Amino acid sequence: MKHLILAFLLVLCTASAFSQAKKPTIMIVPSDVWCNTNGYMMEFDNQGLQVKVPDYKKALQENSDLLLVISKINELMADRGFPLKNLESSLKSLESEAAEDAMLTSKGGGEINESPIDALKKVAKADIWMQMTWTVNTTGPKKSITFNLQGLDAYTDKQIAGASGTGEPSFTAELPVLLEEAVLSHLDNFNVQLQNHFDDMFTNGREITLRIMTWDTWDYDLETDEFGDDELGFLLEDWVANNTVEGRFSTSTSTENMMLLEQVRIPLYYERNGRQRALDARGWANGLRKYLKDTYGIESKLMMKGLGQAQLVLGEK
Amino acid sequence: MKKIHIVMMLFSFLTSPYICMAQSKKKADKETAEWRYEIEAVGTGTQGTYQIKVWSYSKKPETAIEQAKKNAVHGIIFKGFPNKDRVPGQKALAQSPNLEQEKEDFFKDFFQDGGKYQKFVTLTNNGAIAAGDRIKISKKEYKIGVVVNVNKDALRKDLEDAGIIKGLGSGF
Repeated sequence: MKHLILAFLLVLCTASAFSQAKKPTIMIVPSDVWCNTNGYMMEFDNQGLQVKVPDYKKALQENSDLLLVISKINELMADRGFPLKNLESSLKSLESEAAEDAMLTSKGGGEINESPIDALKKVAKADIWMQMTWTVNTTGPKKSITFNLQGLDAYTDKQIAGASGTGEPSFTAELPVLLEEAVLSHLDNFNVQLQNHFDDMFTNGREITLRIMTWDTWDYDLETDEFGDDELGFLLEDWVANNTVEGRFSTSTSTENMMLLEQVRIPLYYERNGRQRALDARGWANGLRKYLKDTYGIESKLMMKGLGQAQLVLGEK
Repeated sequence: MKKIHIVMMLFSFLTSPYICMAQSKKKADKETAEWRYEIEAVGTGTQGTYQIKVWSYSKKPETAIEQAKKNAVHGIIFKGFPNKDRVPGQKALAQSPNLEQEKEDFFKDFFQDGGKYQKFVTLTNNGAIAAGDRIKISKKEYKIGVVVNVNKDALRKDLEDAGIIKGLGSGF
């Protein structure tokens, strides 16, 4: 019996040692300020309101300095064992996928299903955005660069890393040389903060957000108290508290129709079919979906956005 | 008898510089073991390197040069260095402040005379010391500033491979 327990523990240890957390994707983009200053914005009419959005494609096609900075950061991050998603390639993939999807038909003449939500979600995605801005400062014949690099979590909207500063003024150095120097000077400090963010994630769990909504066709709402000893909203909070690392989460918004839970710390791994598997927001929220169905008979639709955001709409699929 | 005296005097005259040097080295080794040094940024090094000035303490400038190499690598791993003018400072490679004690055996070998640390540091200008970087702080001691390049990318990779520090992608 002792041997059996030991063998089981060994297998468990090995499984947990080999399981890897889901790796976040990182992509570098120029900031809105940079795009606006350099004339890479698109304007469109959104129900009477003029909206400006950055035109990344135009910026990448026309600005060689931008390409240089992105390429240098990509190169240095790959050296650190953390290759990044490339913005230009992502935009090209999206275009080619859209073209292929439009042409794709089955033998029976069927076309690819696409809901308006599917179409909206077809944008370049990353879990962490590395947003950069630089400005060229000119004092007489001297030039210097002010460089700002921000690491933004796509789901929690938190800045998780940053590095900024103004380099030495130079009479002779060309702009690409100054930009390369700025990247070399700042990237290591940025990566120290990024590492701290990952360390925090390994210690305290992945930070995600969970939105809970209700279909208007559903006969109940989040204030209904027919499902247990309290209102449904509080029962949901109980499940979240029991299934987060040290019960960490905060309820930012709670109404009869919706709830927004932020700073939800979920474990990095879970056990499925006897094996440790990496957990993301969707996998974690699926546990809540199943709980609602099995315990209270509530059907719900689960949607996700990357590793760190899940949406559950109660009432039906 | 006179002859013996002359031979002894001659012997001591000939060996005194070596004894002096050895004593100076011994003292410098002691200072290095206590990690008595300061680091400042000099410029943004070429890709993969930091260019820094290490201020070490020694009786003789020659001894300080060798100690500076050791101090430079130690500083990059455990201390980091602050901003200087517009050159940004850098944080230490070690994430834990107790790493040196936790991995004592590794670092003892790493920093021994002729140890692996030498692979990651080079002197600039062949170790020439600028006039302003040789400061006499007492009758017997100089504070010597030596500019060195530390190959931090190779150093980090070596420490990651040895399992001393974590890589950015480790755990994923």
